[in-house]
Amino acid sequence: MEMFFYGFMQRAFQASFLISLIAPILGLFLILQRQSLMADTLSHVSLAGVALGMLIGINPTWTNILVVIVVAVLLEVLRQIYHTYSEISIAILMSAGMAVALVLMGISDGGATLSMTQFLFGSIVTINEQQIWMLLFLMIIIVALYIIFRKPMYILTFDEDTAFTAGLPIRTMSILFNILTGITIAIIMPIVGALLVSAIIILPAAISLRLSKSFNGVILIGIVIAIIGMLSGLVTSYELGTPPGASITLTLMLIFSITTVVKRVFRL
Amino acid sequence: MHYIEVEDLSFQYENEPVLENISFKVEPGDFVMLTGENGAAKTTLLRNILGLLKPSKGNVHLSAKNYLGEQLVVGYVSQQIASFNAGFPSTVLELVQSGRYQRGKWFKKLDKHDKEQIRRSLESVGMWDMRFKKIGELSGGQKQRISIARVFATDPDLFILDEPTTGMDVNSRKEFYQLLRHNSMEHNKGILMVTHDHEEIRHYANKHIELVRKEGSPWRCFSMDSCKELSKPHS
Repeated sequence: MEMFFYGFMQRAFQASFLISLIAPILGLFLILQRQSLMADTLSHVSLAGVALGMLIGINPTWTNILVVIVVAVLLEVLRQIYHTYSEISIAILMSAGMAVALVLMGISDGGATLSMTQFLFGSIVTINEQQIWMLLFLMIIIVALYIIFRKPMYILTFDEDTAFTAGLPIRTMSILFNILTGITIAIIMPIVGALLVSAIIILPAAISLRLSKSFNGVILIGIVIAIIGMLSGLVTSYELGTPPGASITLTLMLIFSITTVVKRVFRL
Repeated sequence: MHYIEVEDLSFQYENEPVLENISFKVEPGDFVMLTGENGAAKTTLLRNILGLLKPSKGNVHLSAKNYLGEQLVVGYVSQQIASFNAGFPSTVLELVQSGRYQRGKWFKKLDKHDKEQIRRSLESVGMWDMRFKKIGELSGGQKQRISIARVFATDPDLFILDEPTTGMDVNSRKEFYQLLRHNSMEHNKGILMVTHDHEEIRHYANKHIELVRKEGSPWRCFSMDSCKELSKPHS
């Protein structure tokens, strides 16, 4: 119980709760567009954004957001160029992002390398009041956008040709979605860590995809799964002193295994 | 007026021509069947018409308005639509409902009229009782039927259908063709349908376009003889 009296743990719980509301929405659309690895690419690129911020002495969150917006647009452009093999865009930008991050870290002094570890693995103590407000603002925007654009996004993820024929601006929609995903990753990366941010976005939706028949059902069940996984992962992380991102990911993996076994055994 | 006007269209993949000198029109009330051997670039032609591909020569004009002067609504059933991802999280009802969205319902709630249209569309293909099933759990024929129900739910001014009856039995196919004929004759809808069953459909359609291989071309390039008028179907 003592953990609830610490300010940093209260902020960690608040952040986890807010991420739980966002992750399944983005995760579902990423999975349905066969872009599950895009979150991973953007998190790698985020490291370049962080390194750039540290090098030029600006708050890394802002440089990070700027870099992921540029890369999110590039991702869509490359996806169109390599239409048949769209995963090539992910491979190219993931390698480029990591390379730029390492070069920038090499140029800056050792302090940057030390801070970078926090971004790689995430740390509860790095969450500050400003990040909570950013996360709250982001959550409101994403939930509102989901409510407003649920129908066009449903068609877009079901079949792009059908969406185009129905008059939807599919390219603009894809780019805006990538940008939103990039900004989300830039904001939650210091909390859960670059290495595991995509798992936290993808896993709740991946689990609920097997549990619900309907589109809205996947989002709602995904949110419940994310809340359970994030909060219990955080408690585990505090108790065992393990990295929060890894603890949350393993908790979600445990939920994934349990639901898979239960579905198999009871033939649900 | 014409819903579709194709003028001297040619299309090539990289430097290999696949379609040449295609010209025809689809008017309100037309039921046009488009046939040709396997690989005759029928789907490519439809994708040019829809704007999913750009012609290398010639023009495609898709009318912006229907014959009443309202915005033209196009309903498209692609060849692959019935092979949708088995894991896509949607019930039959959700998918067919989505057909109504392009009827000005992207940001509005579906009303009584929309729900009635959805019910009738599902009943017309015998899928009303399956409306709460997950689409991935359906058989190939059932998936095809809900793709058709979805396009009927849209109630488009122009139907563009790419082999929509694959996997359907004879009776279902006949009912479907009758329904299309009813839509073209009674409601002035334009229909352009790619099919292999041209013997079956000729009793329902009023125009026939056949893509034939160009003689003397080193490529598998297709063109059309003419747009044949068929005997007027009985109402």
